[in-house]
Amino acid sequence: MLANFLIGLREGLEAALIVSILIAYLVKSDRRHLLPQIWLGVGIAVAISLAFGAALTFGPRGLTFEAQELIGGLLSIIAVGFVTWMIFWMARAARSLSGELRSRIDKAADASRWSLAIVAMLAVGREGLETALFLWAATQTAARNTATTTGPLLGAALGLLVAVVLGYLIYRGALKINLSRFFTWTGAFLIVIAAGVLAYGVHDLQEARFLPGLNNLAFDVSAAIPPTSWYGTLLKGVFNFSPATTVLEAAAWLLYFVPTLSIFLYQKRQRTQAPSRPAPEPVGASGRK
Amino acid sequence: MIMSRPSRQAGEFAVPVGTLILASTCAVIAMPLLAGCTDNTTTDSPAATASTDPRALTVQATDSECKLSATSAPSGTLTFAVTNGGQKVTEFYLYGEDGKRIIGEVENVGPGITRELVLKVEPGSYITACKPGMAGDGLRAPFSVSDSGEE
Repeated sequence: MLANFLIGLREGLEAALIVSILIAYLVKSDRRHLLPQIWLGVGIAVAISLAFGAALTFGPRGLTFEAQELIGGLLSIIAVGFVTWMIFWMARAARSLSGELRSRIDKAADASRWSLAIVAMLAVGREGLETALFLWAATQTAARNTATTTGPLLGAALGLLVAVVLGYLIYRGALKINLSRFFTWTGAFLIVIAAGVLAYGVHDLQEARFLPGLNNLAFDVSAAIPPTSWYGTLLKGVFNFSPATTVLEAAAWLLYFVPTLSIFLYQKRQRTQAPSRPAPEPVGASGRK
Repeated sequence: MIMSRPSRQAGEFAVPVGTLILASTCAVIAMPLLAGCTDNTTTDSPAATASTDPRALTVQATDSECKLSATSAPSGTLTFAVTNGGQKVTEFYLYGEDGKRIIGEVENVGPGITRELVLKVEPGSYITACKPGMAGDGLRAPFSVSDSGEE
């Protein structure tokens, strides 16, 4: 049960963190009217994942390995684009909070509402199919016999529940921090998460052989950080840290992390120095693969 | 009084870009689902048990063992139903002859759970592996696929 609990926790944690930061931001910046979009995105992702997972588990047709890896890999890389957009959108909207006219802020926020829904959808849907397949497999097991086989499903469900509770606690904590500090820390935190998602997507594409170099490891610390341990689970769940990381994964991580964090910190410094000056358009950054 | 000149709206490009990416996201999801679907040759219907269908294999995995119902199969779409009877989370891999190239993999096989790896396999020599604890080279064994005329 503990092992299945840790799988559920790992699969749910990252999505819970991204969504709770997004919600905390909308609440803090007084944009509660955008919350339905977030829940819509989350709802669509959960519904699609569960439906596809059920169809593939119980239906007449399954999904090939390559197709599943391709979906996981591509969704991860698209998710990185959207989370990056979200980071810079939050930063810009933070600037306008202090200086610009309220009506303009709201108009801008409304224009972004569907992008926010997509961020929430991708954050949950990225690993949604794998999680759904895992959950349905546990359900199948639970349905097979009655008394003894419900453990895996219970463990998996509890793991997901704890991930959601941790997300909620982060949300509550975030509400207490002051706004400008919130932006700096969550922005930097989300950049680390997004870099991990990118590396994960690269690994998926390497496994499906759309990218080479699966056995070319940059480092392997599996002995020091076992993937089955609770800290291995947390590192994997939050930062997508893989104890055995390929060279290509590490390169993708660095090539995303260093420039994105630099731009983020540079823009933040510019904002503090000249609040009225428009920041460079970050749409280009969100389009980066 | 604050005078602000019109500047670029924060979310000006967000909708078209978002819609575009939403559309392409859907296409990306739909494409492999259509191309990557394969017949479910599961063992759960009583009529087609593992023993009668040579392409439906079972893998009994524990923390120290990785027992396959057969060490060979005819080419075509194979199903490996991996059951974890151990305490650790396991993974099941089908490698190429070199033991490195991944042909297929199923992750997150938690204790007590059965998960399936479904994939098309061409004739040739392969290596199977269970990875209890999700690390290391795993418990490996050779596996061969004969030419059945099916691709």
